Amino acid sequence: MAKDKRYAWRLMAAIGALALIATACGDGAEDPVDDAEETEDVADPGDDDPADDEPRADDYCEPGGETPIVWAHEQEPPDLHLDDPNNNLSIASWIRQAMLEGPYGVSSETTFIPELVESEDVSENDDGSWQYTFTLRDDVVWSDGTPITAADVQGTYEIIMEGFDFETGEGGTYLFGSRAAAGYTLIDPDSWEVDGQTYSFSTQEFFSGYQGWFDPVFPTHILTDADTANEAFPNWELDGEILPSSGPMIFENWDRGVSMTLTRNDDYHGANEANFDVRNPGAACTSGVQINFVADTDAQINALLAGEADLIMTQPQVAFGERIATDDNFTVASEAGPVWEHWGLNTNNVHLSDPDVREGLAFALDKRPVMQALYTPLFGDLLPDVGLGNVYWMSNQPAYEDHQAEAGYGVGDSDAAAASFEAAGYSLNGDGVWEHPDNGPLTLRVGTTGGNQLRELQIQIMQEQLREQGVDIEIDNVPGAAYFGERPFSPEAIACATSGGEEGDCTIWDLTQFAWVGGPWPGAGHNAFLSGSGNNPYGYANPEFDAKADECDATVDPDERAACYNELSQYVTTRNIDPDGLVVLPITQKPSFFAFSNVRLLEGAVAPDANAAGPIVHVVDYLPAS
Amino acid sequence: MFAYVVRRVLTTIPLLLIGTFLVFTLTAISGDPLARLAQLDVDQAAYDRLIDLYNLDQPIPQRYVSWLTSAVQGDMGPSPSQGGQQTFDLVLGRALNTARLAIPAFFIIAITAVTLGVYSAVKQYSKLDYFVTGFSFLGISLPTFVFGLLLQVIFGIWWFDWFGARPFFVQGMRTVAQHGWLDMVRAHVLPIITLWLVITASESRFQRAAMLEVINSDYIRTARAKGLPRRTVILKHGLRNALIPLVTIWAIDFALLLGGAVVTETIFAWPGLGRLLLAGIFQQDLNLTMGVVVFIAALVVVFNLIADLLYGVLDPRIRYD
Repeated sequence: MAKDKRYAWRLMAAIGALALIATACGDGAEDPVDDAEETEDVADPGDDDPADDEPRADDYCEPGGETPIVWAHEQEPPDLHLDDPNNNLSIASWIRQAMLEGPYGVSSETTFIPELVESEDVSENDDGSWQYTFTLRDDVVWSDGTPITAADVQGTYEIIMEGFDFETGEGGTYLFGSRAAAGYTLIDPDSWEVDGQTYSFSTQEFFSGYQGWFDPVFPTHILTDADTANEAFPNWELDGEILPSSGPMIFENWDRGVSMTLTRNDDYHGANEANFDVRNPGAACTSGVQINFVADTDAQINALLAGEADLIMTQPQVAFGERIATDDNFTVASEAGPVWEHWGLNTNNVHLSDPDVREGLAFALDKRPVMQALYTPLFGDLLPDVGLGNVYWMSNQPAYEDHQAEAGYGVGDSDAAAASFEAAGYSLNGDGVWEHPDNGPLTLRVGTTGGNQLRELQIQIMQEQLREQGVDIEIDNVPGAAYFGERPFSPEAIACATSGGEEGDCTIWDLTQFAWVGGPWPGAGHNAFLSGSGNNPYGYANPEFDAKADECDATVDPDERAACYNELSQYVTTRNIDPDGLVVLPITQKPSFFAFSNVRLLEGAVAPDANAAGPIVHVVDYLPAS
Repeated sequence: MFAYVVRRVLTTIPLLLIGTFLVFTLTAISGDPLARLAQLDVDQAAYDRLIDLYNLDQPIPQRYVSWLTSAVQGDMGPSPSQGGQQTFDLVLGRALNTARLAIPAFFIIAITAVTLGVYSAVKQYSKLDYFVTGFSFLGISLPTFVFGLLLQVIFGIWWFDWFGARPFFVQGMRTVAQHGWLDMVRAHVLPIITLWLVITASESRFQRAAMLEVINSDYIRTARAKGLPRRTVILKHGLRNALIPLVTIWAIDFALLLGGAVVTETIFAWPGLGRLLLAGIFQQDLNLTMGVVVFIAALVVVFNLIADLLYGVLDPRIRYD
C-alpha cells in the first residue's frame, strides 16, 4: 500500500511539474502546436509545393559571418562511417546529412523528397520486370568542383555491393548492415545504364522503397572501391585529404572529445526546388557549424543560457521547459517524427501466449493519462491525445489510421478487459489480481532503458493503471542501452523468439518498452515482426503476414500500398485480421525538443526527428544574427 | 632505499595482473558488443566483423592473455569507439588534458586543506573552526554534479544578469596556443573550484584531526615548556608530524585526480581521462577501458610509493631497509 501511495505521489508530482511546463510553453516565443498546424496542410509532399510555408527567397541571406553556429550535443560519434552497423548513433547520421546528399532526402513530414534527383520514371517492362530511370539535376557539383553525375550513383552501388555473392547472399567488402533488407539485392547488377545525368536499372519485382536507395551518393571520383570507402568514411578523409561534400557543409576538423567543425560549402548547388522545407535557394548563410560534445543535459542547457551554445537538442525534460521555454531569448520547438514508443509483448510468456490475455492488456491500458501527463504538456496537440495506434504509419503521415482506437484498445475499458481475461480462464483472486488456475496470478515484468526519466515515468503511470485493472506489473529496468542486450535482444531471448519457444530462454522478459525508429518507407519496419527474424523479439510468426509484407513492398499504386501497410499494422496491433496477432501496443510518437538562441540565430529552421535527420538537416536556412 | 623501491615495484606486478584481469573480465562480461546489432537489421557479416574485432570467439582468459601480451609491448590496440585511434595515444593525450586541471587543483587543494585544517585545530571551537567545519560538511555532502552545475548557473547565467558579463566559461577546455592566456584561465576556473570544494572539504577534516592529535601530545607540550615560540612549535614540530597521514591521502587523491574526475569532466565538457573512460565503458570498448584503467592503476601505485618514501622524509624514525 505504501508503495502504491508513493507511485501515486510520484505521478501527481510529475503531472504537476509538467503542467507548470505547459503553462511555460504557452508563454514561449514559439509554440510547438503552431508548427504542427503549419505543416499539416501540406497534403502531398510529392506535389513539390513549397508554398505552404514561406516561398523561397533569392535574397534569403548574404552568406557571411565568421563565427560558426555552436550546437551542443550529448553524443559524440565513434566515427563517421556511413553504413557501419557498429556505429549506429543518430548523431553520426545527422552530421553526415549536412555533408552528403542522396537522390532523395526525407521531408519534415517523413516522406521522401527529391534531393539530387530532378526526375524519375518507374515503369514495368514487357517481361514483367521493373525499370527505374532517374535523372540528376544538371547543376549539382562536389565541393571540389567535380560535377556530380549518374556515374557517382552507379559507383555508390558498386561500392556497396562489392564482394557480395548473389547466390549465397553473403559477403561484401563495404561495411553495411543488410543489403537484402535495404533492397539492394533486388537490383539486377547487369541492368545498369548510365548516360550523363541519367541512370537506370531494373528489378524483377517492383520495390516500393526504391527512393531510399543510394542515400547518400558517394564521391566516387575519390572513393574508387569499398576499401577506400571503408578507410575514408570513419574520419572523413583519405590520404590526408578531406572528402568533398555535396551538401551545404564541408567537414573541417574533429577534436575528439571536444568538438567537430563543419564549414560552409561555398559551391553548394542549393537545395532541390522540390524540397518544400527549405527557403534558402543557395549556399548556407552561416559560416559553419561547430558541434560541441557536452555529455550532460543540464550542462547543455547551461551552455545555451550562458551563451556558449547557440543550439541544443535533448530528450524532453522538465528543466528544458522551466528554464528555456519561458525565456524570450530562446526559441523552443518540436515536431512529431518516426520514433515510436511501444510496449512489446512476449508471446512465449506463459500468460501472454494467450491472445485473449494480450487483448485484455490492450483493453486495460489507457494511453490518455500517459499523453496528458507526459506529452501533451510539452507538445500540445502535436500528438493525438489517444496516443499512437499504428506501427507502419505515424500520426503526422497522410495514410495514418488509428487501428488500436478503432478496436477499443488503449482507453482503459475495464469491462472489455475483464471479459478478455475471463475468456482466457482467469478470475480475480483475493488480492484483486487476475489469476489463472494453472499459470497463477497475472504478474508481468516490464522493463526499459533505466535512467530514461520519460520512459520510467511512463511505465509507472501504466503500472498504476494496470494494477487497478487487476494486472500486477513489476518494473524490471536495466540501465541504458545494456537493457536491449540483456533483455529482449539477448541471444537467449532471441533464440526463444525465433524458435517459437523451443530453444533459448523465454523467461528473460515479459513486457518491453522501447522505441523503434521508422522512416518514409514503412517496409523498413517489417523485420520487427517477420517470422524467425532476429529483429523480432516478440516471437510473432505468421507466414500470411510475411507474404503480405512482400506484397505491400511490391504494390505499385501508392494508395493501395498505403492501405496494404495499414493492413499489416493491424496484424500486430489488433486481432482484426489475425486472431493470434496483437503483439505490440504502440503508445506514442516521441518527438525531440530543441532550442536555439534568438540572439545568435534569427531563424533556426530546425526539423528535429521529424525526418530522423537532426537539427542541422536544414542548416542552409540558419539565419545568423549579424 | 633502492632495494625497498625495487621490492615495492616488484610486489605491484602481481597486484596489477590481478587488477587488470578482474577489470578485463568484468568489462568483458558486463555487456555483449554484439547486442548493439540486435535491434538492427544486419547480415551475419556484421556480427562476424565484431566477433573478429573483439576476439569474441575466444574465452575471456585467452582474450586477456592476448591483450596482456600486446600491452606489455606497448601496444594497447586500437579503440573502436574512437575511430580506431591507438589507445595508448588517446590515453596519453587525454591524461595531459586532465593534468591541466589536476595539477593546479591539487596544489590549491593541498595548501587550502592544510591551512584550514591547522587553523581549525589550533583554534578549536572558535567561530572560525565552526565555519571551517560547516564548510567541510557542505563540501562533503554536496554532490559534485550539483556543485558544478550550480557554479555554471551562478557564473554563467546569474552573473551576466547581475553584472552584464561572464567571468568564466561553463564548458570546454581552452589552451594558451589556441585561445590565449585569459581564456585559458577562464576555462579552468570553474572545474578547478568544483574539484577543490569536494576534495578540500574532506582533506581539511583529516588535517584537523591529525593536528589536534599532535598538538595535544607530550612532545609538543615539552617544546612549549622549553619556551619555543608558538609559531615554531606548530609549524615545525606539529605540522610536520601531522602531515604524515595526509600524505597518504594526497597520494591517492592526486592519482585519482590525474586519473580523471569523471563527473567534473562530464559537466564541464572537459576532454579528459574521466570522459574517455566513460566512453569506453558505455560503448563497450574493451581496449579503451583497459587502457584507462591500467593508466589509473599505475598512477595509484606510483603515487603510493612516493607517499611511502615521503614518510621517511617527514619522520626520521622511518627507515627503509
